[in-house]
Amino acid sequence: MTAVLTLEDFTVLVRDELGLPLTDSELDHDLDRVPGWDSLQLLRLVSALERHTGQRVALGSLLEARSLSAIHRLAAQS
Amino acid sequence: MASTEAYLTGVGTFLPGPPVDNATLAKMLGVSEEWIEVFIGTRTRHFARDVGTGEIQWSLADLCAQAAEQALADAGVDRSEIEFIVMGTATPDTLMPATVNHVADQLGLNHLPTYQLQSGCAGAVQALDLGRTLVLAGRHRTGLVIGGDVSSKHLDPSLDFSGKAPSELVNFVLFGDGAGAAVISAEPAGRRLALVRVLNQLTGLGREPGQVIEWFGMADRDSDRQALVEDYKAIEEGVPVMAVEILWELLGDLGWSAEDLDFLLPPQLSGRMTAKITAQLDVPGAEEISCVAETGNNGNALPFLQLERLAERIEPGQRALAVAVESSKWIKAGFAVEAF
Repeated sequence: MTAVLTLEDFTVLVRDELGLPLTDSELDHDLDRVPGWDSLQLLRLVSALERHTGQRVALGSLLEARSLSAIHRLAAQS
Repeated sequence: MASTEAYLTGVGTFLPGPPVDNATLAKMLGVSEEWIEVFIGTRTRHFARDVGTGEIQWSLADLCAQAAEQALADAGVDRSEIEFIVMGTATPDTLMPATVNHVADQLGLNHLPTYQLQSGCAGAVQALDLGRTLVLAGRHRTGLVIGGDVSSKHLDPSLDFSGKAPSELVNFVLFGDGAGAAVISAEPAGRRLALVRVLNQLTGLGREPGQVIEWFGMADRDSDRQALVEDYKAIEEGVPVMAVEILWELLGDLGWSAEDLDFLLPPQLSGRMTAKITAQLDVPGAEEISCVAETGNNGNALPFLQLERLAERIEPGQRALAVAVESSKWIKAGFAVEAF
């Protein structure tokens, strides 16, 4: 069975596993404005999402996401 | 008698084992294969240890001795003619003896001066610089210049890579192992490549290192310090700028223009970074000689891997320029070669 990843779970995952001090409002910010965010954090986030959901996350679609909430929506769909 | 020119008369390289593709590396690290392809752009690399078991299959000395043998064969030089060895590495097998002396042992060489330069991406160029200086000073006629690295010393398959900090994790998707060597001589023979200029310049005064590799002794072996730290943002910003400066500094020193270049050997950070830097170097008339997308970033082996590819293509009268940047303490390096 695949775990459903709520936005709340996702936010906790970003804070705990990536160590990013993310505020709720920063979920909708452009990724360039999220403190500490970069392409290596994307790699770690994809790995963390795959571990939590038990499903492969297609990176291609995530590359077009411009905010963490958009990444959550795409990951929740996959 | 002093020579007026130093020549690279033979080049050899050695890459351990079969190429390791992104699917295999991604599975081992527990990270996205697609991410490595998109953000690193390196397709394969080689490791001196078994990626499944972690068992060591080659030492750095083994890799370097193999590359040196290839270079001797390529130059058509008998080992008895070798009067010195200079080697650059950031990852020696042991701190003592210096790995260069084990390489000499494997090559059956004795009673000659050996030098080992502790350096990262600029080490091979520094080795070429010292080798060229020894030849031009008339101290020696022919020597071996070697560069190699075994980055997989840090690649422990039993580790959980998912928890690694980005500054540590990035190293595992960039690096590979390998070695290269060249015979340098006062005799214009063999490959007939004149090493006409070498740039080797520390520019890191007061600047934080971009790359740190720690070493641990008995007193701190259980320390939780990261063994590898890469400030990849500083590197992404700093290296392209330095590469352009190196290109123009070398061209100015040589009295060459960019249009005079037939080949360009750009810094080999990763497939993606090298493409970006090459675009910024902007020498459209020169053919790019790169290898990192296939070999991985194996540090001091890279300039020799590029030289080997260059030697197969360059024709008499053609010119090539190599650019290397060491981001540890920000060293500018490069060299120019002219075929005759």
